[in-house]
Amino acid sequence: MIRLDSIDRRQALRYAGMRGDADTAISALAETCEKRLLSVISPRYIHRVYPLEFCENGIACKGSHLLLTGADIAAHLQGCSHAVLFCATLSQAADRAVRMAQAEDLTAGLLTDALASAAIEQVCDLAEAEILAGLPDFHATWRFSPGYGDLPLSLQGEFLDALDAQRKIGVCVSDSGLLLPRKSVTAIIGLSEKPIERHRKGCAACNLMNTCPYRAKGAHCK
Amino acid sequence: MNVNTLLESGFLMLDGGMGTMLQAGGLEMGGIPEMLNFTHPELIQSIHRTYIDAGSDVVYTNTFGANRLKMAKTGKSVQEIISAAIQNARAAAGEKTLVALDIGPIGQLLEPTGTLKFEEAYDIFREQIEAGKDADLYIFETMTDLLEVRAGVLAAKECGDKPIFVTMSFEENGRTFTGCEISAMALTLEGLGVDAIGVNCSLGPEELVPIVQELCRWTTLPVIVKPNAGLPDPVTGRHEFAPERFGACMKPFAEMGAVIFGGCCGTTPDHIRAAAQQLSVMQPVKRSVSVPAAVCSANRTVVIDMPKIIGERINPTGKKRFKQALVEHDIDYILNQAIVQVQAGADILDVNVGLPDIDEAEMMQSAVKAIQGITDVPLQLDTTKPDALEAGLRIYNGKPIVNSVNGEEESLSTVLPLVKKYGAAVVGLTLDKNGIPKTAEGRFEIAKRILDRALALGIRREDVYIDCLTLTASAEQEGVTETLSALTRVKQELGLRTVLGVSNISFGLPNRELVTRTFLTMALHAGLDLPIINPNTESMTGAVRAYRLLANFDKNAVDFIAHYGNETPAAPAAAKTDMTLGNAISAGLKSEAAQLTAQLLETTPAMEIVNSHLIPALDKAGAEFEAGKLFLPQLISAASAAQSAFEVIRTKLCESGAESVSSGTVVIATVKGDIHDIGKNIVKVLLENYGYKVIDLGKDVDCEAVAQTAAEHGAPLVGLSALMTTTLPSMEETIRLVKASCPDCKIMVGGAVLTADYAEKIGADFYAKDAKGAVDIARSVIS
Repeated sequence: MIRLDSIDRRQALRYAGMRGDADTAISALAETCEKRLLSVISPRYIHRVYPLEFCENGIACKGSHLLLTGADIAAHLQGCSHAVLFCATLSQAADRAVRMAQAEDLTAGLLTDALASAAIEQVCDLAEAEILAGLPDFHATWRFSPGYGDLPLSLQGEFLDALDAQRKIGVCVSDSGLLLPRKSVTAIIGLSEKPIERHRKGCAACNLMNTCPYRAKGAHCK
Repeated sequence: MNVNTLLESGFLMLDGGMGTMLQAGGLEMGGIPEMLNFTHPELIQSIHRTYIDAGSDVVYTNTFGANRLKMAKTGKSVQEIISAAIQNARAAAGEKTLVALDIGPIGQLLEPTGTLKFEEAYDIFREQIEAGKDADLYIFETMTDLLEVRAGVLAAKECGDKPIFVTMSFEENGRTFTGCEISAMALTLEGLGVDAIGVNCSLGPEELVPIVQELCRWTTLPVIVKPNAGLPDPVTGRHEFAPERFGACMKPFAEMGAVIFGGCCGTTPDHIRAAAQQLSVMQPVKRSVSVPAAVCSANRTVVIDMPKIIGERINPTGKKRFKQALVEHDIDYILNQAIVQVQAGADILDVNVGLPDIDEAEMMQSAVKAIQGITDVPLQLDTTKPDALEAGLRIYNGKPIVNSVNGEEESLSTVLPLVKKYGAAVVGLTLDKNGIPKTAEGRFEIAKRILDRALALGIRREDVYIDCLTLTASAEQEGVTETLSALTRVKQELGLRTVLGVSNISFGLPNRELVTRTFLTMALHAGLDLPIINPNTESMTGAVRAYRLLANFDKNAVDFIAHYGNETPAAPAAAKTDMTLGNAISAGLKSEAAQLTAQLLETTPAMEIVNSHLIPALDKAGAEFEAGKLFLPQLISAASAAQSAFEVIRTKLCESGAESVSSGTVVIATVKGDIHDIGKNIVKVLLENYGYKVIDLGKDVDCEAVAQTAAEHGAPLVGLSALMTTTLPSMEETIRLVKASCPDCKIMVGGAVLTADYAEKIGADFYAKDAKGAVDIARSVIS
């Protein structure tokens, strides 16, 4: 469904802990890892538009069993009549590529993992653009994922069920709320018929806010 | 009425979509359809009935997700749900329709990508099979993971007595989500003895044509086709094919020889009626298929249609360093041996992890799981112990080779039944209680005996590979040609594939490589299919590649040119007088670091190399990392280069019988529920670099296992890693257990979501902000 021709290596190197420019050896290794990763992954995504119902105990996605709870998602979806639920994955091949790279060379493992993280973000961006292009009558919010702010990770199971994601793209959730294959993302995009303020995703919604190495230095991850 | 009788009488018609009918009846997305067996039995029965009226010979029970994990929150047991579902199907079925116990995927991923263990998966399926004893057959459908299917099929074989059907879901690239190939599915499942295999879901009937075509080439079993009603509309999720179009789509499948049909998502009784109508004017096509000799992992099939290389290096015989790795359960060492051989050109890897005083069965399982986690090449399980063999066969994902059986009665009667049960290929050694016959004739006779016994058990001729045994030329020079004559006869007269370990030939002679390579070439010309060699020796792998070219297997020399086409003559080794071991480590140059260490070892004691070269280089890298001059990838590169230097030293110490010196033991683990292990692995390498003995328990580690291991080894320090907020409770629990069982043991913790404050709150002694921090802590705790 989605093809990636390249991965944002700069971003990946940042994820891997590089600051400033990488030396030639690391850059060359990153390029090799990027090629290998691109040759094995099959990115996929699935989405569905649900009408929303704002209830006392949360926001219901009508026609499914999913109830979105917490103040942050309520603020995020304020003014929205519908929401896109979507889930994207790089597939198990990415997990395998990271394991293989690690067994061969730990640096390659670290870089492959970081490249895969960058790649799934790119897949999400492309998927979002594709989905929203099919919904020209709506104004959209940014992507909000379970685990951001006070939207609990524990609803990943019902989120995936609302998309039949296991059957359609092979994504499961572990007991600890971890999406598997590992490089998978679930997200919610609010839709409104009227223009809405499209807030930027900020640090407040991030669960790494207190430990973020970028913030410690007064910077941001994006 | 049973499946076979029905199949003899023509096509077999399954039912169509259950979920589709339930959603049309108002079931919400994410609802639990299995509960309708209790709340709306009349609805379920009426759906079955409409399918039967439309022509279904078999209906699937409404139990797709009826396993203990998915049903946990319903308050009903698996037994209750499955019994109710079977009753509903029976109520509709009457005499003529069969009831199939429907079993879908568990909904959790198996190790190594997920955390579900093979044995747990087996037990989940066992419960379903036992609850479904009143069904007429078992159907595993919509499967994407071959290992999960194997767990289910073994459970059905061992705990049930009904025919087994399996359908998997393939994408347009001919693979499932987990990468499983069509050929691998067919080879593995036909080997396990299921009754019919096929495809369901994922694609519409038109897209499935090439997939079913491929499947028909790889199996002699009846083939099942149960497609969706076309591809779903991306916006509405609805499937687009009208019944007539769906029905017409059955024609090409029937023409290729598929005999069992049905519908999946989006299909209704009208679709089934249309399909039945289409098939009513056709006759089943008798397929004549000859499935080639082949072995596989889930993701790669290796056809033995030209010489293929079996890598022999995963074997402790004569290797002290390897033995040490086995005693220490050092799986990483074995994985490294696997990766290197695959990169050098091995098509299959032999796995021998036998050593007195270790639990070989456990080691075989650990090794097979770990190797299959990082490479696709099929494996050859090499052991003399039946329990270790079965342990490996049970969890092997695909169709392996068993190495080996021989002509002795005891061997034949213990090994061959295991080969048959697990659907493996087998190496037959031409020896028996009288030893290795001197003559080609004697070995040929034993080969024949092994083949006859295998055939009598139902093992295919294509799955028996004969090893005519290499004797040492220096001791039995006249025996060399006997081996080769026996090999040629086995190949030509019995029509079997041949396998041969060639390295022995040169034992005791000078220039062993020359002798071995020449013998290899002779054996290939005599008909050798599976040379067992050290693929890391370029001249050996090269000889096989050249032979494939010269014998006209490698058409247009494509493979040969791909390997050697860009090769420039090796330049004389550049004088690297300016490169020191310290420089090599700082620059992250692994092979240079290893070479320089080997050179230094000729003149310098090992410990001096460690203290004067390695540790200072690592300290320098660590200091630069802390100062922000060097970053994580560079620090790890340096650490990995140091690791390769240490490996040279360790091997040397091992060979000389010296005790390796350890600074102290550290137990490390990624906590229960968490599978992020890169951070933990980085810490491991750095700690090992500083001479600590690291016991790495891996990821998703039970809290008790950490405490137990720390106590067992009297470890002064334990390191725990967690990357998710949801797994911090298991970190806290692990700390509690470690403190209870070893009050003096210190605990350090690390991971993205941790802070120093939080570490203190959950009872850890130290918070390691990064891998360098972990080493500093170890140095302060263990002096």
